[in-house]
Amino acid sequence: MSAVVVNNLSYCYQKGGKHILKDLNFTVEQGQIVAVLGLSGSGKSTLCLCLGGIIPHYFGGEMTGQVLINGQDTAKCKIARLALEVGIVFQDADTQLFSPIVEDEIAFAPENLCLPPEQIRYRVDAVIDMVGINHLRYENTNNLSGGQKHLVAMASVLTLDPSILVLDEVLAQLDAAVKENVIEILLELCRQGKTIIIVEHDLEAVTIADRVLLLEDGMLVNDGPASILQDKELLARHKLLI
Amino acid sequence: MIFMKMVQVGFSYPGQKKPLLNDINFSIHKEGITALTGPNGVGKTTLSKLMVGILAPSTGHITLKGQNMSSMALAQIGRLVGYVFQNPEKQLFCPTVSEEIGFGLQNLELPEHEVQRLVKENLAYFELEHLAQNFPLQLSEGEKRRLAIAAVLVLEPELLVLDEPTTGLDAYRKHLLGECLLKLVASKRGVFMISHDSNFIDRYASRILILENGRLKENGC
Repeated sequence: MSAVVVNNLSYCYQKGGKHILKDLNFTVEQGQIVAVLGLSGSGKSTLCLCLGGIIPHYFGGEMTGQVLINGQDTAKCKIARLALEVGIVFQDADTQLFSPIVEDEIAFAPENLCLPPEQIRYRVDAVIDMVGINHLRYENTNNLSGGQKHLVAMASVLTLDPSILVLDEVLAQLDAAVKENVIEILLELCRQGKTIIIVEHDLEAVTIADRVLLLEDGMLVNDGPASILQDKELLARHKLLI
Repeated sequence: MIFMKMVQVGFSYPGQKKPLLNDINFSIHKEGITALTGPNGVGKTTLSKLMVGILAPSTGHITLKGQNMSSMALAQIGRLVGYVFQNPEKQLFCPTVSEEIGFGLQNLELPEHEVQRLVKENLAYFELEHLAQNFPLQLSEGEKRRLAIAAVLVLEPELLVLDEPTTGLDAYRKHLLGECLLKLVASKRGVFMISHDSNFIDRYASRILILENGRLKENGC
């Protein structure tokens, strides 16, 4: 069974409005790292919301077609159920963080899964260690810097242990050393069999991808191996390289 | 002439035992593009907020055109220094993209036709024309960023301070932004930007400052 199947997916935020996604079709196999590229406004973040079921469950608008996550139709599946499968780290970390203390933020998801306390502690410790934010553990999330917020948001998603991880421009605000660490984490998660979908503008950061999807004005205009990142002519044609 | 000067500036947030910034000394002339870089959480954004008077130094002082900033009103500073936040959502509040760009101009009491001309010009430059009547908070992140930059740039501040301006921008829009900053510099305005984007810094910055462990280092380039 494929991790993600997208069939004829179209979406507009207002009924009768402009389509942000137009008839997308693609499949992602378990354990793949897939990069999604495209100009701002091409529909990348909207696609992320569809993969997590936030569209159609929280946004109105008009969605046609189908998204299957590990075989389950997102439109028919409860969002709480989907959250166990798909973890999204949003582009704007402020929309994601709400606990006053970093540790609480990270423990929130496993608490909600009603895991036994020792297991919650184990998961929180492991993730804090992996992401390298032990020094932020007791900080107020409101006082963190932009890059630190992204790391905490990522940690709070990883404690859910989702099989599919969706990252919406998470690397952009990280310094070089932290970015490298996050990329290592992604490769390790991939070795553990997780599926990773990563939206990014930084072409160097997505060289870890097995595959690249290229969105333009809501349409999937290219679906190919990571080697297309070397195809300067193609990238320039889509204004992804200047 | 020195445009802005920080003298032995230190800063700590309330309740913080160790100061975040310590003995920061540097001057900004209105020339070229200065880039500030350094690890996450080191205090880059805090430093930039000190530069526009959103925060006041705990120790030391900052002068702007020779005047101590602590004696200036925020509006006075705002005329001289434009600021684009790291998260563009924090500065967007108008019902449409056009109004967002025109808001500052209207406050400067420019004639309406002049406001409209400048709004149009900036909508075109930042490729936001097709979104002119849209609600800013429903734009994509990259579009919000372009709008926030346009709304500040249109006021032609003498110094423009940008906190991670390339986040959310695709390569093509980064190029547009970079060229726009060079134009500003050519018109004798200064640009100060915080960034982790080493390609962008290498391409456009004429001076690089590195903030580490609360202290500032200059890196000649």
